[in-house]
This record gives sequence, C-alpha cells and structure tokens, in this order.
Amino acid sequence: MKKNTTEASATTRRSLFKTFLLCLPMMLLTFMMLTGGSMPTGGERLFALAATFLFFNLLFFLMVRTGKTDRFRSILFITLAVCFVFSFISNLIAVRGSMALSRATMIEGGAPFCHLVIPMTLIPAVLTKTIIFPGKILGSYSIAGMFVIWIGVSLALGRGLCSWFCFFGGLEDGFSRILKKPIIKNISKKWTYLPYAVLLVVVLMSALTLSPTYCQWLCPFKTVTEFVEITSVKVLIQTIIFVSLFIGLVVVLPILTKRRTQCGLFCPLGALQSVTNKTNVFEIRIDQDKCVQCNKCIRVCPTFSIDEESLGRGRVKASCTKCGKCVDACPQKALFYHVKGTSLSSKLDRYRLLFLYPAFLVLAIIAGRFVQDAMVKAINLITTGTMI
Amino acid sequence: MEAFILGLSNGTTCVAYCAPVLVPYLLGEGKGILQNSVLTAQFLLGRLLGYLLFAVLAWGINRSILQGVSKPDLVIGPAYVVFSLLLIYYGFFKTRTSCKTTCTHGLRHKLMTILPVSIPMIAGFVTGLSLCPPFLLAFTGAVEKTTVIQSMFFFFAFFLGTSIFFIPLPFSGLFRGFSALRIIGRMAAGLIGVYYLYSGIMMLIGGYTI
Amino acid sequence: MKKLKGMLGYIWAFLTVIIVLATFMGNDYFSEQLASATGITISPWFSGGEIVKTLDHGTYKTYIHRPVFDALIGEKRKGFIQLNWEPYAGLPPVVQETIDYNGDNRADFLITLNTKTGDASLTAHSPTVLFIERSYGLKKGWAVRVHLQKRS
Repeated sequence: MKKNTTEASATTRRSLFKTFLLCLPMMLLTFMMLTGGSMPTGGERLFALAATFLFFNLLFFLMVRTGKTDRFRSILFITLAVCFVFSFISNLIAVRGSMALSRATMIEGGAPFCHLVIPMTLIPAVLTKTIIFPGKILGSYSIAGMFVIWIGVSLALGRGLCSWFCFFGGLEDGFSRILKKPIIKNISKKWTYLPYAVLLVVVLMSALTLSPTYCQWLCPFKTVTEFVEITSVKVLIQTIIFVSLFIGLVVVLPILTKRRTQCGLFCPLGALQSVTNKTNVFEIRIDQDKCVQCNKCIRVCPTFSIDEESLGRGRVKASCTKCGKCVDACPQKALFYHVKGTSLSSKLDRYRLLFLYPAFLVLAIIAGRFVQDAMVKAINLITTGTMI
Repeated sequence: MEAFILGLSNGTTCVAYCAPVLVPYLLGEGKGILQNSVLTAQFLLGRLLGYLLFAVLAWGINRSILQGVSKPDLVIGPAYVVFSLLLIYYGFFKTRTSCKTTCTHGLRHKLMTILPVSIPMIAGFVTGLSLCPPFLLAFTGAVEKTTVIQSMFFFFAFFLGTSIFFIPLPFSGLFRGFSALRIIGRMAAGLIGVYYLYSGIMMLIGGYTI
Repeated sequence: MKKLKGMLGYIWAFLTVIIVLATFMGNDYFSEQLASATGITISPWFSGGEIVKTLDHGTYKTYIHRPVFDALIGEKRKGFIQLNWEPYAGLPPVVQETIDYNGDNRADFLITLNTKTGDASLTAHSPTVLFIERSYGLKKGWAVRVHLQKRS
C-alpha cells in the first residue's frame, strides 16, 4: 500500500441546469435517431417511442449528473440484450415458424449476419472476394451493413464496442450482477489469452474450410437467436457444444465470478477489437499518485483488463471495453477516462463526457430499435393476445 | 492446409520453447542480419529434413500396416483420439516446457554431444525429432496418406506452419514479450486438439457403423 | 507540440460523434458503396454459384449453376453442382434432367425429382458424380445439389 486508504472525496454533482445543457444535444440526437426522420403511426408505437426516449435520456442525465458511468450504462446494456433476444426470436417465429435455420434458408441467403462472424470472413474475403456466410450482401441484417457499423463503431470506440454496442454482452453483464459477492474469485491469468487462441484457430479453420467455424461450432449465442436444424450427428454435436458454452460461459460463470467470462475469456471478436483499442482515441488511465493499490479495480473489471502490472504502468490492458466499472468503483478516483494526446492532469470529467457522447449514442441507436420493437410486441401481446 | 494450420497453431510454442536453447548458440554475437538469416535457413533446412524423414516413415506405416486393414478408420481414429487428448492437456493444462519432457529428449541430447552441433543444419535436424503432441497428430495425419508424395507434402505443410514463427529470428530482441505468444500458441494447439478429438470420434463411429 | 497533440486529440474525440452519426444515418449508402467497390458476393458454397445455363421447359425453367470446387487458393478435389426448378406452379409431378456439367458432350448424370414430395434420385453416368443431397424447397421452387469430385 502506498498510502492510507482514506475515503475519496464525494462525487462532485453538477448543477441541474448545467446537466440539462449537457444533455440537450443527446436529447436532440436520440430523438432524431429514434424517429428516423418520421414520427410513427399507431398508439403503441408512439408510446414505445416516447417511453424509449425518456428512458434513454433519463439514464444519460443520471450519468452526467452523478459522474457514474457503469451503473447506468449497464441498465441500458442489459435492456438491449433482453429486448434484442425477445425481438429477434419473435421475428423468427413470425417469419419462419421456428428458431431453427434450415438448409433451404441458408441457400437463399436468409441467415442474418452478426458482428461476431466478421473475423472469420476477412481472409477468405481478401483471397476469394466472397463472404463465407449464408446471408445477404445488402438489405436487412445484411453483411455490408454490419461491416459498415463495425468499422464505424470500432473507429469511434475501439473495444468499447463490447460494452456499448454488442447486443449479446448485456446477457452476461446481467448475470454477473446477480450475486453480491463472487464465489469464484481467482481465475488464472493464462485464460485471458484464450480469446486470442480462439481467434487464431477460427480464422485459420474458416479459411481452410471456407465456412464460418465459430458460428458452426462455438457461438454460444445461437442458443438465444437461431441455430441450424438438427438433421445429422454432426449438427447434434454442434448444438450440444454451443448450448453447453452458453450455460457455462454466459450464465453460470458470470454468476459465480461476477465477470463477463464469455467476453473476457472466449470471444474472438473481442480479441480482434483489442487491436482496435491501440489506435482509438479514448482510453482508461490510472493516476499513480492517487492509486493506493487497494486492487478494487482489478477485482471488479468484467473483462480482466486490469492487473498489478497495469497499476504499475498507469494504463489498463488493450482488452479494456471502457465500461466504466473500474472508474466508478475506485474509492480514490484514480482511474479516469482520457483522450489520447491531451493533458493527464486535470478536468477529468471532460474526457468522460467526450467519450460518453459517441458511446451512449451508439448504445441508444442500437438499443432504440430493439427496445421499441420489444415494447410494441409486448403491448400487442397484452392487448390482443398476439405479438404482431 | 490442415497440416499447415496444425503447424501454425503450434509454431509459437516450437519457437518459444525449443529455439531459445539453440538460438543464442547459433547466432552468437556481432553477426549481421544476412549471416543470421543464412544460419536460420540452414537450421530450418535441417528441421525440414527431419520432418521429411518422418513423412517417409509415415508412408511406410501406411503401406505395411494400414493397407492390410479393412477399416483403416478404426486404426487412425483411436490414434487421433489419444493424441488429441494429449494435445488438449498440453495446450491447456501443462505448465512445464515440452522439449525436455518428450521421449526423444535423451536421444536428442546424445546426438547433440556426438555430432557437431555448431553445424546449424544438424541442430535443426535434431530439434525436429521432438515428439510433441502436435507432431504426433501430424504424423497420424500423414499415415493416412496413400502415396509418399502426399505424406511428404503433408509434413512440408506442417513444417511451413511451424517455421513461419522462425522468420523474424535473424532480427534481434524477438524473445521479449514472447510469453503471451507462447500461451496463445499452446491454447490454439489445444483447440486444434479438440477438432482432432471430434475427427477421431467420428472416424470410430463411422468405422463401426459401415 | 504538446498543444498540437492535445488539439488533435480533442478534434478526434469530437469527430467520433460525427463518425457514429454517419455510420448509422448513412448505413444504406455506405453499405452499397462497400459492396460495389469490393465486388464482394456470397461464397458459392452457400449460394450455389452463378447460373450458367437455363433450360426453358415452357411452364417451368431449370437453372443449372456452375460446378463449385472453389478453395481458398485453387480448387478442392470435391465439390457440387446445384440445380433449381421454378416456379412451383408450373412444375409437372415429376421432372427429369440429364446433365452434362463439364461440357464434354457426354451425359454425366440423370436426376429425377418428384415435385410433390421433394424426393430426388440420381443415376450417375460418370465416376466423377458421387451422390445427391436431399432436395430443398426454396421460396420459388426446388433445388438439389449433386456432389462431384474431380478426375484424379
């Protein structure tokens, strides 16, 4: 311990007026993005829009006013995940009648493309100019569309994509907050390298087989989205694997460790995103003058991105998803968001705000669609008995 | 391609564990990049010759044993299962260095005392005799090939996969920060082991259901 | 230098908001540009490959795709060829097609499809023809994939 563990000074609260001024641009932007330029028709859609708008901006308001990031980010992030699953599954059942993906649908390019596939498609795309996925290049849930989003969000947030965009991450985030204290406290540091090994293997195997290996064999989130219909022993084995991974990495381990174990210990896209963190303008820094090495940040980081070495260097690891949990947790306020190139010394919350604008905007845009859709379906279900 | 990936996933481990023993001896001090490159190339050539020797041995096993068997999958399948389990253990749970604990370590040590190890090619040949689990799997894969050319090509691809990580060796300071790469390489090898475990089981099931 | 770095940092930080807005608001435009600039298509292992021949039978058409042997580099030893019959409404109870897939003027296989049940059978006339996958009922018609191998 370098210093006594004295209580940090109380979080400085902004005045209501100043907070409102800072939130005004976000209100305008979210309104613009949620409406898409035109007001919805129908009572339930208008209600969903209004409720979503108020909910999102209330969370942003609280983020700005209290200086706490993760507490409010996680509410929206978990809501996104739940609403995405609800919306996605209900759409599948409405269109196809089941969550199972048939070979016929794959031949017709009917599989929706998600960002987790991206690492596997890169080498074949460069060498063969084709995408090894049974989806559509353009249209709804299209490949080109998701690539554009991935490029844009990666440029803006780096690996912040994992805590401010990924519609799967909220599931683990939610499960990791169920218990007050972790039951499994120590996980060997070597497992934090597993995502890079998974990335290497799936990229190479996908190039070898010209098929998305991670999707076929490993993706745990097929459990809550869609999966290939079981017509052979091979597909049955694949199903057992991904369901087991979902139960283990997305549900059980996050509950027991209070960490995002799939994100931090397995996800290959997360490993790739760590590279984008190197060039991203936002980062989390550690003020070594304030740090008393209580190690609370190490214990709370959901993706194992801080260790003793980080504290020594004053920087978190490249795997940081910029969720803000360590920043909120540090009793000395030693951890802070920072904009690369700028002064490290003062005006700390300015950097957090500069980060919050693009980050919360991304979260609001992606969540807006699914939260509104889920709300409309829920209202329809309650009032009419059907979701459509 | 399969052999190349097996070699690639294990390549970091090959370099990280085996090369540090030989590289300082080979490279010495004050040698230029060109000379270092020539020495490394000789070393790699020695390794290639060792692997090709095993390729011929694998083909010999195919001709003498496998050709006479009515269901070769029932021979290859169990081999895949056993070696892949070894590879999974090696990839995820084994913590000590692998070079010393392979069964050919004694032979290699003896060869290195008898033969002039200062000749890089011989040093490379000798290090190629390491029977690590990835090598055993590659050997099993090569046994399946029906012609000697296919077997040699298979091992050549494995060699290429392992050797890519030797390419930066002529440039100094490459072993700084290698521990992460070593762990990633081993875990990747373990994951490849899972793939071979599945292949082995499917071969066994397929062999029994025909 | 320090001031310049700081200024660049702030500019970059502000630009991220623009990047986010452009990404989502311009998603349709940028995706079209990305698709046309790269010329990217879906892998033929999923899409079945390009249609190279159309046989007009009056009430229905048979679409013959190119043989797919595509590998990362070069070609694989084993592949397939996809055949489609459309539309459902114009299909007779049974369709039969004799296919010469490699253009050597010799029939390679005969395929028979029961368009009511989707049952398909294959009669191979060449050693390069291996087996048939089951038929698939697509939105507009039926599709089958016949697995092939290259001559050794």
